[in-house]
Amino acid sequence: MKIENKQLNFSNLIITFPILILLFFSFGSFFITFQHDPYITDIANRLLKPSTVHWFGTDEVGFDIFSRTIVAGRIDLFISLSGTLIALTMGLPLGLLASEKSKRAERIMKVLDMFQAFPLLVLAIVIVAMWGNNIRNVIFAIVLINVPRFTRLIRSEALTVREKRYIEVAVTMGASNSRIIFKHLMPNILGSLLAQASITTAHSIVVVAALSFIGIGVVPPEASWGSMIRAGSQYMTTGQWWTSLFPGLAILISVISFNTIAQFILRKYESI
Amino acid sequence: MFKIIIKKLLFIPIASFIVSSLAFLVVNITPGDPVEVIAGGIASEETKNEIRIELGLDKNLFERYFSYLDDLSKGSLGNSFYTKIPVLDSINQYLFDTFELIIMSLIVALILGFIIGSTGAYFRGKLPDKITNVLLSIIQSVPDFFLGLLLIYILFFKLQVVPAPVGRIGLGELPPPEITGGMIIDSILDKNWSLFLSSLKHSILPALTLGIFYSSYFGRTTRNVLGGSLNSKQVEFAKSLGLSKKRIFIYALVDARTPIITYIAILFAGLFGASAIIETVFAWNGIGSWAINKILMLDIPAIQGYILFAGLITLLTYTILDLIVTFIDPRIRKKVL
Repeated sequence: MKIENKQLNFSNLIITFPILILLFFSFGSFFITFQHDPYITDIANRLLKPSTVHWFGTDEVGFDIFSRTIVAGRIDLFISLSGTLIALTMGLPLGLLASEKSKRAERIMKVLDMFQAFPLLVLAIVIVAMWGNNIRNVIFAIVLINVPRFTRLIRSEALTVREKRYIEVAVTMGASNSRIIFKHLMPNILGSLLAQASITTAHSIVVVAALSFIGIGVVPPEASWGSMIRAGSQYMTTGQWWTSLFPGLAILISVISFNTIAQFILRKYESI
Repeated sequence: MFKIIIKKLLFIPIASFIVSSLAFLVVNITPGDPVEVIAGGIASEETKNEIRIELGLDKNLFERYFSYLDDLSKGSLGNSFYTKIPVLDSINQYLFDTFELIIMSLIVALILGFIIGSTGAYFRGKLPDKITNVLLSIIQSVPDFFLGLLLIYILFFKLQVVPAPVGRIGLGELPPPEITGGMIIDSILDKNWSLFLSSLKHSILPALTLGIFYSSYFGRTTRNVLGGSLNSKQVEFAKSLGLSKKRIFIYALVDARTPIITYIAILFAGLFGASAIIETVFAWNGIGSWAINKILMLDIPAIQGYILFAGLITLLTYTILDLIVTFIDPRIRKKVL
């Protein structure tokens, strides 16, 4: 028992790193005064190597990559997080509704599964391209491709919890439906729900980046990791690696952070 | 046994209908006016109306839906808004190019994933397991297009072991006469070996990119499933019988075959959509980059056709998977009956 506690304490310490990184990307740009304005181009100083003046170098139009990589974090993370949270709040009632044991519920799930037969990334591209280039539509695309996932997860979790003895007891004691859902069901599925939310946010970061990488969604002069990688992509063949590398690493680090948090949540809930 | 097969096959037409309806809905329920984009900002109201009538966008959603279904029943996906080329012809032209990429990527993903996953499973709990686990987490977190760019920098610019990422063959080379539509197969059929070699070399970067990225998913599945069967009672029994380590490993593999094959099918279906962005990175003229082009131009019939095709391919893959699994795994056969 004691050893287990120690392990948990250790992982409590470890988990602060990803949280700090994500907080830095989300809010860091509000507190830092950059040496170079992230929105001002400087054609005379284009494609400069990383140096003490431009820490991460400059891109093809002379944007400072360091300041833009940090500024891009807040918009990319905002979109991914809010898309995930909206999808979660929509998937929750849908999943609970679909967890009743009926033919109808099964049919709903079949249609939802069918929806997942489509390449979801391409679907997101279609939505943003047809609905117009703005942040609201990117969030909407994230919501749309993730609602079926949350519905499915919540349904399967709710189905297993419903079988448990304590729910049976609560029903026999005459507990109301809302009491059963909020007092008994929710606390028991919360862990896997939060873990899934964290994984979905990680995945959404990549989707948002892929959208701006092909040139839709968040587009320049607004900074986003995907569009920064896009701006540098043609220079990879000529050796100017820094334009794409740093925003790419920023994505990598944030995705790993969210995945680590998800694993931590799962382990924590399993150990209870 | 026959009952299962017939039941599965009967499901296909119903599912195809749902898939085709969803494909229509996704593309046609939009708040914006595609004509605005097609005509450009400065077009007069008159030209816009002409375009609207020409493309059938003056009709309401239901009329369009029924004419779409009507076209489908005649085996047509309509014509492109811009080029007037039948959508089905374009899909035909590009589909095999994408299949070639998917199959090569799948081979890379399976080999890499299997090596990483089985290493982890064999040494489960020990250091190699932990190392491969971290490796898989990192690969899984890299956006695939970024990985592609990194590989371009390392393999093309630094090491110069692959040709420039300019497409399927070199800029000065002529493509083989079109037979299947797939460049590699066609160059074999044409017995043009230098072109075959060139197209293989040009495939290294994109196939490696997708292959490495998807090896993480396959590797994790292999690690978990194989780790589970290596921990099982029958392996313990085999060990106590004194069987060789190699033999035991093969037995565990046989036990883990169903989830592994399932994952191959999932990867195949997933790669169909995922290849789109990689195709644009490497100028690979496949159906994915064709579709992204069409999406950015708001070519509605083409987008519709692509989404429908992608849905049908997924549907077909999963149905075939179901049938294969019921054939090779008596445990599942008994459960279904």
